[in-house]
Amino acid sequence: MIKVSKEYPPDVVALKDISISIDSGEMFFIIGRSGAGKTTLLKLLCSMEAPSSGLIEISGKPINQLKGHHLARLRQRIGVAYQDFKLLIDRTTAENIAISMEVSYKKPQIIRKRVRDLLEQLDLSDKHDTITGELSRGEQQRVTLARAVANSPTMILVDEPTGNLDAATTEKVMTLLNKCHKGGATIVIATHDDSIYRHTSHRVMELQKGRLHGITGGELP
Amino acid sequence: MSFWLTVFRQVGRNLRQTWGSQLMTLLTVSLSVLIFAFFYLIYANMLTLGDKLGDDLSLIVYLEEEPGPELQQQLRNKILTFDEVEEIRFISRAEAYERFAKQLGQNQDVLNDMPKDFLPPSIEVIPMKNLRSLNQVKLFSTYLSRLPGTLKVQYGQDWVERFYYFTKLLSIIVLLSGTLLILTTIFMVAYTIRLTIHGRQAELELLKLVGATNNYIRTPFLLEGLLQGAIGSFLGIFSLYMLFQWIKLRFSGPSFLNLFEFSFFAPEVSFTIITVSILLCTLGSYSTMQKFLRI
Repeated sequence: MIKVSKEYPPDVVALKDISISIDSGEMFFIIGRSGAGKTTLLKLLCSMEAPSSGLIEISGKPINQLKGHHLARLRQRIGVAYQDFKLLIDRTTAENIAISMEVSYKKPQIIRKRVRDLLEQLDLSDKHDTITGELSRGEQQRVTLARAVANSPTMILVDEPTGNLDAATTEKVMTLLNKCHKGGATIVIATHDDSIYRHTSHRVMELQKGRLHGITGGELP
Repeated sequence: MSFWLTVFRQVGRNLRQTWGSQLMTLLTVSLSVLIFAFFYLIYANMLTLGDKLGDDLSLIVYLEEEPGPELQQQLRNKILTFDEVEEIRFISRAEAYERFAKQLGQNQDVLNDMPKDFLPPSIEVIPMKNLRSLNQVKLFSTYLSRLPGTLKVQYGQDWVERFYYFTKLLSIIVLLSGTLLILTTIFMVAYTIRLTIHGRQAELELLKLVGATNNYIRTPFLLEGLLQGAIGSFLGIFSLYMLFQWIKLRFSGPSFLNLFEFSFFAPEVSFTIITVSILLCTLGSYSTMQKFLRI
């Protein structure tokens, strides 16, 4: 990202002149208080929103110029676990997870197996056929994460992954993310939960009121 | 999973979720096709009947005196000056009497006391097949009435005029019902698809974010429009066919319908109506997507 800013009308500055470079296969933490601009930054990274100014490139390609088929292909390679979950509350847990694989035309048997594996890893095996509207917030959060990683994306963006979870489940979520990271995926986690980045060896970027306050850590993999 | 399998699954899911509005649209499309096809069927049959009657159309010019061979030639030339004709036949008083007697059949004895020359001589003019429109026939009739020695020209004016105006009225009804068909198919399908899009806004948003291509999102909606058109128009045509068969069966026997061959559409016509309906419905679906489905 080079000098990326995002403003919302009339004059709300969500991000101002952010310049960072995240390596392929890196695990990267974005921290800051509520309203610091963490979620906005993730939205810009997955091209859910366009920056007001500046340049964002992924694998050397400026993403705000991508359209149609190319943009769809890029989004298939980015898994996003949204803070507001974006679950289809009238569909089952399995259907919600499968959706990210269906858009890239994976075979039904591969989808079924992957869904079962992920549910097991996240301790949700008994919720396979449960309508997601009937799940607790913590369970919904895990389904969102499972959907984000299901298609084995090369980049995973996670917004507050442990917000509604107890310590044991947080551990499981982080284990899954670490597994994806070891598998070569770039992981970007926006959080204000210091328990998950306190002892990390990865880089941690702090945002304050939309501005880059500092980057600590940095043992690149 | 293949593209089409995914698309069909999506279509099936949509139809299940919005079956109420889908059914209403299907019925509207069927009814519109039925109304249009009904009037078009009558119109097409009337045109066939008109063609048939046109084949038998002849103008009879009654003359004051029986023309001699020289006058006959002059009259023939005069008639041909207006337009080419199929045939010109001169009927003498005696021939007219014989024909009349033949027409009376067993009752011809009523003519016993009548002189054999009481009927006027006449010229039977059979116009060319291309002289179809009422105005042309009228003009020809006026022209013939101005020929020297003409008493009167007859061609069943009242009947021809009534038939002509009836066919004209039918053509207007066909046009109106055709317009109705176009409007209902396009707008009803567009409205249903619009409802579906609104109802699935969250899902469409998510599909976009997880990397669904435009084709992945749009094709199911296009297919829905196409299915509405195909099933709706097929039902419409099929209902009309059943109605046609019922009328044929119900009114078989010596009635108006037996005066001429009342036939159903040729397969190509039915196929064309179904194809056009499919195109219209798909167009309705497409226009809604362009308007409301921004990807």
